[in-house]
This record gives sequence, C-alpha cells and structure tokens, in this order.
Amino acid sequence: MIKDKVKKIYKAKVKNVEKVSISAYLIKIELPQAVEVKAGQFISIYCKGLTLRRPFSVFSSKDNEIGVLFKERGEGTNYIKSLKSGDLIDIIGPLGNGFDIKNKKSLIIGAGIGAAPMAFLKSKTDELNIESLFAAGFLNKDEIPSVITPDKIYTDDGSYGESGSILNYLGVLINTYNPEIIYVCGPYIVLKTVANTALKYSVECQVAMEKVMACSIGVCRGCVIDIKKDNKVINASVCKDGPVFLGSEVVWQ
Amino acid sequence: MAVMTNILTTDLNGLILKNPIMTASGTFGYSDEYNEFIDVAKLGAIVTKAISLNPRAGNKNIRITETKAGMINSIGLENVGIEKFLETKIPVLKENNIDFVVNIAGSTIDEYKILGKICNTNEIKAIELNVSCPNVKSGCLEFGTDENSLYELVSEVRKEYKGFLIVKLTPNVTSVEKLGMAAQNAGANAISAINTLKGTAIKINCLNGKIQKSIIQGGYSGVGIKPVAIGAVMRLYKTVDIPIIGIGGIESLSDVLEFLAAGAEAVQIGTANFTHPDITQNLVIELENYIKNNGFENLEELKKELRK
Repeated sequence: MIKDKVKKIYKAKVKNVEKVSISAYLIKIELPQAVEVKAGQFISIYCKGLTLRRPFSVFSSKDNEIGVLFKERGEGTNYIKSLKSGDLIDIIGPLGNGFDIKNKKSLIIGAGIGAAPMAFLKSKTDELNIESLFAAGFLNKDEIPSVITPDKIYTDDGSYGESGSILNYLGVLINTYNPEIIYVCGPYIVLKTVANTALKYSVECQVAMEKVMACSIGVCRGCVIDIKKDNKVINASVCKDGPVFLGSEVVWQ
Repeated sequence: MAVMTNILTTDLNGLILKNPIMTASGTFGYSDEYNEFIDVAKLGAIVTKAISLNPRAGNKNIRITETKAGMINSIGLENVGIEKFLETKIPVLKENNIDFVVNIAGSTIDEYKILGKICNTNEIKAIELNVSCPNVKSGCLEFGTDENSLYELVSEVRKEYKGFLIVKLTPNVTSVEKLGMAAQNAGANAISAINTLKGTAIKINCLNGKIQKSIIQGGYSGVGIKPVAIGAVMRLYKTVDIPIIGIGGIESLSDVLEFLAAGAEAVQIGTANFTHPDITQNLVIELENYIKNNGFENLEELKKELRK
C-alpha cells in the first residue's frame, strides 16, 4: 500500500494570468484540494522544457486557490506568463518555513517584487488583529502592482509616494512607528540593510531570503547560506530551513 | 536485501534489487525528503549523498546554475560525516525498509580504507566509491582519471570491505573502458557510469553599461549528458564482465530502455529528481507496465531482446 504522502505534487488549473504592473504578473491557480499556506512560504513551479523548477513566494491563498505575483525575468517566468486559463500547471508546495508571526506591533517591509509575500503577511496580521504597518518601496510608479495596497509607498525616482529608496527612511520609520518586530522581503541589499538597522535599534527582525534552488526541498544543498547558531557558522538551506531567517542569525556578505 | 522474485527483480551478480530503478548520489539526500512525496521503499535502491570520514561544509559561493539541457553543480560534497550518518540516517532508512547503497568519498587512500572498514563493521550491504567528484580540489578526481591509482584504491578498499562494492566512474577521461577494467581487476562487484561531466557556465548581465559576470565551474548533469553516458555504458559493456549501472540524463521510460539496451543492468536517476520528485516511483510502474503490455515474461527477457 502506498502511504498517503504529506507533500504533494499538484496538477493545478490556471484560473487566469493578469498583468498588474509594467513588469509584474499575477497568476491565480486552483488546486485539486484546499491547502493551508503560511505567509513567506513558496511553491515550486515546473516550467516546460527547463531542468529546474522555479520557486515563487505565495501572494494570496484562500481555500484551494493560490495567487503568485511574479516579475518577468527569463525563460521560466516567460513560460508562466504565457499560460492560459484552464491550462494545467505542475506545482509542489507549499514549501519552506514561512514567517513566524508574533503578536507584536509589526513593521512589514517589502521592496520590489518582494512586496508580494509581504502583502500576504499583512493580510494575515490583519486577520489576527495584530497592529501592523506595511511599507513598500519600488523603482517608480509603473512598477507598483495594482493588486498591492501598502500603507506607505516609496519610489526611487519620486514618481509616487515618498521620494527615494525605502532604505533612506528606515530610521524614521522605526522612530515614528516604534515597531516591536520587523519583517522584510526584497533584494539582498534591502534585507541586509534592514536586518542591520533592526539590530542597531534592538528590534527583532525576520528576513525572507532568496537563492537559486535545484530541488527546493532540502536535498541538494544548492541554496545554502551561512547562519550563526550557538557561536558557530553553519549551512542552512534557504528552501527548507528558510526562506525566513532571523536577521540577526544571517552571516551577511 | 532479500526480496521475493517479481518481474522487475534485478540481480547485479551478488546484489539483488526489487527493480532496476535507483537514485543517483547527491540527488536524493538520505531519502527523508523524498519519502514525503513517494514510497521510497518501492525503489530498487537509493544511493546516499556522498559520505566522507569527517563532516564537510561544502563549497562557498554559487553552487548551482541551470544550463541548456541540465545544470551545473558545485556543492563540494557537503555532508554530515560517516559517524553522524550511521547514527542518524541509517536507522531511518532501515525503519522505512529502504534498500540503500552508501556512497563514500575520501581525499586519500587511507580515508577510503577507513570508510570501507567502518561500512564493513556496520554491515552496510553495498557501497559506491565516489572516485570522481569534480568539485573537490584535492582528491577523488585523481583516483578516477588514472587507471593505476584507481586500481590501487579499489584494491585497498576491497581488503577492508567484504560487501557489494560499486565503483562510480567519471566520463572525464579518454578511455572509460580502461578505468572500468582497473576497477574490475581490483575486485569491484559493479560499475556505475557516469558521474557528472566537468563543465563551466558563464552568466553575463549588463546593468547600466557595466558588465556583471558570474562563473560557475562544476559537474554538468541532466538530459544533455545522456548521449555521453550511453556511449560510456556501451563501451564498458563490451569490455568488462561485471554489471554496469547506467547513469546520465535519464528522465523517461524510453531513456531507461536505451540504457538497458546499451548494457546497463540497472539505472540511477539523478537530476530528474529535482524536476519531478516522483519520477523514480513512476518509472518503476511504467517499466512494469511496459513489460506486461508487450508480452515479456520479465525484465531479464526484456533486456535480452533489447540487446539483440
């Protein structure tokens, strides 16, 4: 007898793919069954003809529907973008640990497409009645996905919201909002700067890391990063041990 | 690994597998993660991630990159070391009734000997010698590319280890047959071929007029190496008398059949596990159906027909 396995490879049905900014798309897929997804968890999508699956953090999840917000970057995302309503898509997930949501006043920071999982996290903190502020930074107005509504928006070129990189406002944000915890997702430099700033202000911080993955389930050791644990530096896989780590335990490059 | 005979039973001349579908070292961990997707106990055997005498942290920097028709890895044999492996991984494998081969890697003959001895003491039924990892600076690739060194290494391990000894060959040589003969003459029970090809990828990005370049050197695997692997298996089949386990770019039933036709008695699935975590289990089912639907009695008969 084949046991009922915990993890599933789903043939999900594409509901629709929608362009939501100059470079981002939202794909909604329907799984054969309802799944529970934590903010910060990801799914891994098989892209026809490519060896490696592509991991995407989840943007929305309700019953058996999962939404993924992605930026067009290369062959994989080009394939996903081209999918039509009714097409079948091969996914595994949800994978990874996800954010460990604390009942604390939360500052939620997203930069670029990294705002996607943070919008999901914001909806979770709202559901739990946890006080939170969602601040997101983008290159310019055209990059802001229409499906994301942060409390505060920053654009590098000043075309929308506050002018300049969100990183320039970290100190002000922390001083005025006084968060007890910060959650962040975005490019490496954003994660590093936010983690270091949080440390400086003695605020707890959780970062969602990103790395190229092969297996996406913790087997291949392809996506490891250095983590400090008990005064030792060890390897942790972004796919299984992460993608969310404490900002203070990551060994930043 | 005593099993009841069925139509897929595979006899590697001393090691009997319930079917010829195995997993390649480094692509299946120690099976825990895949056991959440499939029933790993249904596979012929898994080959563990390479185990060294001491724990290894592996390489820094970029470890994997996708290429056309495959990927390049430079993991650098990250593993928990033999002691922890025996303590934490073996019990799980046994508890789940998973047949396994322990892949071992050393950087000196002494290390291989000690590993062989430890496996012998712990009654590990089968080991696979990794003599050809392209990602470790000093060590195992040298053994795998020189027939005299390989002969010496395998002979020394043979003295320490009484179980089923498989030697995994590298394709990064002029004549894989000579290495195969060296392994056989030194007392190997089987050969697995091939390990990854030595490869390099250069990724170029231009950002605001500035070229950003990243270079990754390592082992090339995936569907692109299949023709190299089939060629190696065919040449080995004509040269050596011990069983050959075929590896290289297998991702479908037809790939399996091609390797059997080339002379492989069993196959290992590698990179395709990453793409399709359930591929091994599916191949077992598909192979069984193929034999039944085409009126063959069993795998042995199919092999005979394929090699005519």
